[in-house]
Amino acid sequence: MDTIGADIVLQILQEEGVEAIFGYPGASSLPLHDRLKDSPIRHYLTRHEQAAAHAADGYARATGKVGVCLSTSGPGATNLVTGIATAFMDSSPVVALTCQVNTSLMGRDSFQETDIVGITLPITKHSYQVNNVNNLASVLRRAFQLARSGRPGPLLVDMPRDILASRCEKADPPEETPSSAAEKVPSNLDQLGKIARALNMSERPVIIMGGGVKLSNACDLMRALIEKGGIPFTTTMMGVGSIASGNGYDLGFIGTHGNELANSTVHQSDFILAVGMRFSDRSTSLIDEFAPLATIAQIDIDPTSIGKNVKVALPYVGDIRETISALLNLVESRDRSAWLQRIQQEREAKDFCLPFKGCGKAGHLISMIQEAMPKETIAVSDVGLNQIWTLRTWKARTPRGLITSGGMGTMGFSVPAAIGAKIGMPDKSVVAICGDGGFYMNIQELATLSYYKIPVKIVVLNNRHLGMIRQIQDLFYEGRFNTIELGNHVDLVAVAKGFGVPAERISVDENPEAALAALARAEGPHLLEVVVDENDYVFPIIPPGQANTAMIHGVGD
Amino acid sequence: MDIKESVISILASNKPDVLARIAGTFSGRGFNIDSITANITRDPRITKILITTHGDQDTIIKIEKQLNRLVDIHQVTDLTSLGLPLREMMLIRMPMTGENQDKIMEIVDRYRGEVIETGAGYGVLELAGNKEDMDNAFAALEQLGIDDFARTGSITL
Repeated sequence: MDTIGADIVLQILQEEGVEAIFGYPGASSLPLHDRLKDSPIRHYLTRHEQAAAHAADGYARATGKVGVCLSTSGPGATNLVTGIATAFMDSSPVVALTCQVNTSLMGRDSFQETDIVGITLPITKHSYQVNNVNNLASVLRRAFQLARSGRPGPLLVDMPRDILASRCEKADPPEETPSSAAEKVPSNLDQLGKIARALNMSERPVIIMGGGVKLSNACDLMRALIEKGGIPFTTTMMGVGSIASGNGYDLGFIGTHGNELANSTVHQSDFILAVGMRFSDRSTSLIDEFAPLATIAQIDIDPTSIGKNVKVALPYVGDIRETISALLNLVESRDRSAWLQRIQQEREAKDFCLPFKGCGKAGHLISMIQEAMPKETIAVSDVGLNQIWTLRTWKARTPRGLITSGGMGTMGFSVPAAIGAKIGMPDKSVVAICGDGGFYMNIQELATLSYYKIPVKIVVLNNRHLGMIRQIQDLFYEGRFNTIELGNHVDLVAVAKGFGVPAERISVDENPEAALAALARAEGPHLLEVVVDENDYVFPIIPPGQANTAMIHGVGD
Repeated sequence: MDIKESVISILASNKPDVLARIAGTFSGRGFNIDSITANITRDPRITKILITTHGDQDTIIKIEKQLNRLVDIHQVTDLTSLGLPLREMMLIRMPMTGENQDKIMEIVDRYRGEVIETGAGYGVLELAGNKEDMDNAFAALEQLGIDDFARTGSITL
């Protein structure tokens, strides 16, 4: 067989260490899917391209490696869009391979033709359309390099069918590249010294960690910094799990649905060291009232993240791991017992009046799921009440042990992302925790699970409503419930069984031990539906348009 | 916020989608591009793009950072603060008859322009200069009846 473009694609994927990809074939992708048959790369046929993109994203988040999804042209490519945007918002390294109609048919509104490069311009780190088979290898190598370097993110490579089918020579081995930017030592030590001095002098410092800390594999160094300086820390939603909770400095996560202690501590602080985060609106709420007393220092590899949303007195652009390792030598331990005591008192007062961290029975159930599952289980949350319940109650023991769609807030993320996580980390248990709304959005992936016998465990917290929107309507729209009822006419257990996934239903009021044991024990995919009261909400929360200090409590809190 | 004119000079790869990426960086923040000019540099792989825009400095700085993040952009320079001379060019087609010809030529001479084409009762003028001069010349000529015109964006070095 002659070497063709499709062989080059597979050659580069192998060279980049890709073992599994998630995709869906079509007319334009046929040359590539044809050659996959003889390749050691495993191709998982999802039941929808959106799921392929989320699976690649979940794979990337669980492993730290680049996740790959593959689609045909036109609708196949556009179906990836939500998944690509999800990866973009959370800086997840994904390479999306889209196939395109023949070069000669482009620009003619041909069958299944769409300008996917144009469509994805604002949601990719970069994108390429390959118009010469001899460029294919270098473009793909560059795409992988870009996806994982600097601030990671999704790349898209669009490949016309005729390019994939063109005869060519095998690609030359990659050129040796000189040491990459990531290996450079911090250059601006002066500025780092200023940050260290400001931190050392501060009376009420707090550290806020974003997803960048995990992406830079700097969690161990952050822990060292926190312990050396005796500095309380909080995280953004993406930073949850950066440091296993319980060392006494953990405040929970900040923001709209975050922990009250974290919000109030940040508000009272006089110095914030922000690492790998962008002060998004979900973290700061009303920006004008955010941390009014604090001097802010911000460390990020992406200059656009610095000062994007708040005024930063001490910016520092650099790789977090390198930077923190240098900062660690400059930070002094200091007695801040007044500050820590104040936090501790507030912690005790708040914990006392907030059983299950404001997550009610569902929150309690989630902690029981964690107890029933093996220790290093990866939890993948969906979006909505289930996400907040999971993030508040699941005690992530490893930085990549809790996966969630933070920036984009994509419903339907959990099940396909859990598939990707399980394929990437076959030795770890993976549980997807979702609500009924998000579960419906990618319900077809039950067929992928049962076909490949992928042992992903799914817990559907079924309150028969779009719970988070219902809560907002209840609290801020005078209880005018509208368009949020999903109904109780669907038998999810029967649906799951119909898809070939064993399933069971319990009520959140029942003792779940037997059902959870069955979930943990199952050798293949398994679904547990938990019926939850639609009036179980998350408290406290911040009303829309208000400050982080304006958290409101529910009845009885 | 203080809104002012900014001039941004960009060196980018000479590729079909570069302009779309640059334009998207502006439009994504609701920013309008006042003028844009582009020319290929001595290195045919690199194109130089000059953009003038209006906005507060904070947002301009954010846009510059976003532009710098684009893979195909090699250099972004904010020329605003350098106070460099900005120049643009206009081509204007207008009726030229006995009565207004003298008036037109007076304006053309004042702004050191020239008539580059004449036909049956009309002429095409070429004028170049700073934006203020061009605005003034245009306003004066408008009184005499402009048929059609084209203006380049501002360029500078």
